[in-house]
Amino acid sequence: MPKDIVLEMQNVSKRFGSVIALDDVNLSIQKGEVHGLLGGNGAGKTTLMNVLYGLYQSDAGQVRLGGEPISVHSPKDAINSGIGMVHQRFLQINRFTVTENIVLGTDLQNWPRLNLDTAKEKINELGERFGLPVDPDAILSDLPMGVRQRVEILKALYRGVQVLVLDEPTTNLTPQEVDALFESLRVMVDDGLSVIFITHKLREVLEVCDRITVLRHGKNVLTMEREDASEEAFVTAMVGSDLDVESSIIFSSEQLEKTIGDVGQDTILEVADLTVGEGELVGVKSCSLTLHAGEILGVAGVSGNGQLELIEGILGLRPVHGSVLMQGTDVSTLETHEILKNSVAYVPEDRWQDGFLPTANVAQNLILGLHRQAPYSDGRLLQRHTILDRSNQLIEEFNIKTPGAQDTAGNLSGGNIQRVMLARAFSLPVDLLLIHNPTRGLDIPSMEFVYKKILERKQEGMATLLISENLDELFLLSNRIMVLCNGEQMGELQRGSYDKYAVGRMMSGVRQSE
Amino acid sequence: MSETALTSSKPKNSLLSQALPYILAVLAAFLATGIFLWLAGFDVLRAYQTILFTSLSSRNGFIQTLLKFVPLVLTALAFTIPSKANKFNIGSEGQLLLGATGAVAVGILFADLPSIILIPLCLLAGIICGGFWALVPAWLLYRFGINEILSTVLMNFISFQVIDYVATEIWRDPLAGHPTTIAIGENAELPLLVSSPPLHSGIIIVLIVAALVYFYTDYTSAGYELVATGSNAKAAKVYGINTRVLFVLALVLGGAMGGLAGAIEVTGNHHRLIEGMQSNFLPLGIIIGLLSRGNHAAIPFVAFFIAVLEVGASALQRTMFIPVELVFIVEALILIFVLLSDFVRRK
Repeated sequence: MPKDIVLEMQNVSKRFGSVIALDDVNLSIQKGEVHGLLGGNGAGKTTLMNVLYGLYQSDAGQVRLGGEPISVHSPKDAINSGIGMVHQRFLQINRFTVTENIVLGTDLQNWPRLNLDTAKEKINELGERFGLPVDPDAILSDLPMGVRQRVEILKALYRGVQVLVLDEPTTNLTPQEVDALFESLRVMVDDGLSVIFITHKLREVLEVCDRITVLRHGKNVLTMEREDASEEAFVTAMVGSDLDVESSIIFSSEQLEKTIGDVGQDTILEVADLTVGEGELVGVKSCSLTLHAGEILGVAGVSGNGQLELIEGILGLRPVHGSVLMQGTDVSTLETHEILKNSVAYVPEDRWQDGFLPTANVAQNLILGLHRQAPYSDGRLLQRHTILDRSNQLIEEFNIKTPGAQDTAGNLSGGNIQRVMLARAFSLPVDLLLIHNPTRGLDIPSMEFVYKKILERKQEGMATLLISENLDELFLLSNRIMVLCNGEQMGELQRGSYDKYAVGRMMSGVRQSE
Repeated sequence: MSETALTSSKPKNSLLSQALPYILAVLAAFLATGIFLWLAGFDVLRAYQTILFTSLSSRNGFIQTLLKFVPLVLTALAFTIPSKANKFNIGSEGQLLLGATGAVAVGILFADLPSIILIPLCLLAGIICGGFWALVPAWLLYRFGINEILSTVLMNFISFQVIDYVATEIWRDPLAGHPTTIAIGENAELPLLVSSPPLHSGIIIVLIVAALVYFYTDYTSAGYELVATGSNAKAAKVYGINTRVLFVLALVLGGAMGGLAGAIEVTGNHHRLIEGMQSNFLPLGIIIGLLSRGNHAAIPFVAFFIAVLEVGASALQRTMFIPVELVFIVEALILIFVLLSDFVRRK
């Protein structure tokens, strides 16, 4: 039975300078469906939605809502026409209550004083109707990510939207929270709303979406009913010929199990009873872990539960109690540069803040932290030719899209900056790799490349501490997975007994039963 | 995020396309000044000619230009070395005055020492005093996180009182009508390269120092740490660079440049401490630093261009009775237009 089309985007094109971001893209959303918008990084998903939401103006094409062409010049226009969007990064004010955040920007009776009672009622009512329970008086900063996202969705519903766009909504959620989100999406579409679900995670779209549109390089590749297609069809549509799905380690795993299982004897890193931070600022509480040569230890947890503190504690960037042994030597009192010299490489999570030199050139970015080591320096003088040659090699090997090693790094896109971070970490052989959300912002072929790199080095004996919010990634690569919540170790799973709900329970603070 | 993957970057490497915005900015600035001069009833073309060619057409003008060039390079470096680490030294004026004080003190107290010892001593005293004058704000930054922009500026005010005291109380020259110290010993004077009109050898020192600084920031690992810190101090710290110490080092090095400028002005130019000798080297140094955009190889060239303008400016005043302030307006306009051109180029 054909349903009504609520929203149509027809022949939308958008260029940025010489780059074509969207090329004649069509998208039609039916009433009461969850429509998946799938694509790798740079496929144009977010650009398309930003056009819809009035953040960008398209160069060509039109948007029709309920059959009528509409012109959207700002998010305000979009909301007024009934289109709401939940961004990947929540735009919330931490110190405000749920209600205050939701009504912010709406017209509300505010004379002689702001009256929030009707708003609260409406929020409770919406929460009940769509299965999004939330306390209207709670302060935002006290809420877990899943609830904060509910607030963001309620914000859109409160404004009476007909079409709700969710940009990578599962990024910071535990598996349980993801399930709850999917349930309420069902309720919403049953109620007559339409949802556009942007993601690069295939399994999610298959789980929740009714129809799926795949974008690649700014073009429509296909739109299909969920039932009509296999997982493989979508993967092929997403990555095109860029990836040989058959030989991909992401999708085939026999060889992989053998590679992963092969672990050395030497202890590379031994952390015992490590507490990071002091007083109120304790980020990690008495954490212990051991990492052998060739071993990959995964660390799972909702973002902000001590992962950063753990890594920075190991690296000497935060005050610690307890011991950190690297190949038998206690490094817990050493300075960061001395620890890094100990054959350690680091890929930070927040590449913008913690790893990137925007005004320096690409080559200078590639040697950060290695700038006093051979072959880039003799300790005093930079070896400029070597640096340039090596940078050019890395740019090619890691497929960093830049006009050249001496071009300003600030011109790089997010995905390419991530490639710079990785190229730097892999540019010299190391014994220990500390790597935090390594594939965020990368497309599938690049993820594949990173995984292969990690495994290659693993086989050479490198130990890896892999901290990730992506459970698929952790399950794929880790020998063991430990789970952090509020800076405490909740438990550890061995490869072979991985279970995403078990991990999810620990992520939300339930200790592993003995 | 998919939209970020799409930002394009245009290749912009040819020398011409890099220089073009500057040339346009200078032209636009001159055009704007021309309008002012025309409105004020002056002969615009003759004024242009005077500004641009006085320095280059007469021997006297050229030497004047070189004499201006020396402190300008150093006060520019006083600004640019800290700015590599993204710290702003607005105190080169005070550092220059303190450096001058140090050089005068040594030059007077040890007047009998032979030149070969005394001159280096004077310069060293200037470097140390200038460095010390920057160490105070640097330490305040290191210890208490006090903004160095404010504290370096405030140190300038203190320096005015210091030299006032030195020039009116300690070594006052009773014959001068203006607060001035007595002359340093002859052995402390920098040798002349040209005797009439006099050109001292400070220019050689300055060129060597400028080359060394360029080498330091662009060819050494330590200089790389400065650049990395300036680009993103957090990332630099994460990758093992001691950024807090680097901030101190950069500010003190900058102060040393200012101090050296003062010492050279004393030993080469004035042979004494004169109140007001800091002239407008501080803002000009900053302008040169900004125009060079962190490229230390460019500083001598930009400094020379600004020196040409400065000398042309005073000539304008002498020959055409145009107020010198008007030339400051030209310089300010050039800077504004260059900053604008930057914006235009990014578009």
